[in-house]
Amino acid sequence: MKKITLKLFRYNPETDTKPHYDTFEMEAAPTDRVLDLLEKVKGYEDGTLSFRRSCAHGVCGSCAMRVNGENKLACKTLMQDLKGNKVVVEPILGLPVQKDLIVDMEPFFDNYKKVMPFFINDDPKPEKERIQSIEEQERFDDTAKCILCGACTTSCPSFWSNDEYVGPAAIVNAHRFIFDSRDQGASERLEILNDQFGVYRCRTIFNCTVACPREIEITKAIGEVKKVIATGNLE
Amino acid sequence: MTSRKVVKRGFSLDYIMWLFMRLSALVLYVVGLTGLTVALVIGARTQTDISTIIRWMFFPNPMHVANSDIVNLDAFRNEFWNILQYIAIFFGVTHGMNGLRIVVEDFMGSTIWRTLWRGFIFFLWIFIILLASSVILAS
Repeated sequence: MKKITLKLFRYNPETDTKPHYDTFEMEAAPTDRVLDLLEKVKGYEDGTLSFRRSCAHGVCGSCAMRVNGENKLACKTLMQDLKGNKVVVEPILGLPVQKDLIVDMEPFFDNYKKVMPFFINDDPKPEKERIQSIEEQERFDDTAKCILCGACTTSCPSFWSNDEYVGPAAIVNAHRFIFDSRDQGASERLEILNDQFGVYRCRTIFNCTVACPREIEITKAIGEVKKVIATGNLE
Repeated sequence: MTSRKVVKRGFSLDYIMWLFMRLSALVLYVVGLTGLTVALVIGARTQTDISTIIRWMFFPNPMHVANSDIVNLDAFRNEFWNILQYIAIFFGVTHGMNGLRIVVEDFMGSTIWRTLWRGFIFFLWIFIILLASSVILAS
């Protein structure tokens, strides 16, 4: 156990005119997660602290937040992986803060919906299932891991400056279907992404790849989508 | 299942400019290096100054060395250099103006200001191309 200082971004739209930070001193074990620290504050220090959490095991994507300036899932960030004894926790950037660490995710999901992130196939349903080879599945295996936490999109300066940009998460989810051999909506999705607020707002700075808690190679996926737009070849 | 091998290729302004930005950067390197080499050949090391070399790199125009000690400029008053100037100006200005357009689209919301800025950048692009053309023709 070591003594740490936890500095939290606080904002209550009902009482505060502008955000401020609260600081808490506490003991933390190397195996404690940032989410555990937040639970400790909410349970024992200040019950008004607001943050999203659900599965607490890195699957649901609810607890994306900025930890020491980097987008992370609070439930996957261990104290032993953070440098120093001070932990600063802030909401993810680029989306309106609703309260404390909670942001309005609607603009994020609006962009997500634009790329039609669902399976499209108008062929008659087969009797059993739509067969796909292992190789065909591997083509979009990486991007299928996305949990929609928003860590990538909210780490992207292009998105910070203009939220009309669909953002890395939407492109990742478009990639998941564009490269699915069973799907038939690739052309429509590529048309949406071949727009001034589509893939060309990506400047390949790799913030998204670093931020992704699922370790998806996001910039590579965006590059693959750009390549399909240029060549028309899905292979 | 191999139902979809090819999809419709996308052509949009952003796609074309995305390609253009990469290709024009390569072209500008070639033009710049050609200009630098020629600047050295015509005696840049001893007879001109750094500003002349830079001007010659990006806009190889004999008027730029008129005040130097290079006696005979006829070798640089021909179609080859005029074409090189046109290439440098067209690719350089278009590359730069598209960069400005991208900055505007990054930071301006979808308001009337974005349209006005786009229009201003377009006319600025035309103006600089015309101005440079008149300099090239006069040289």
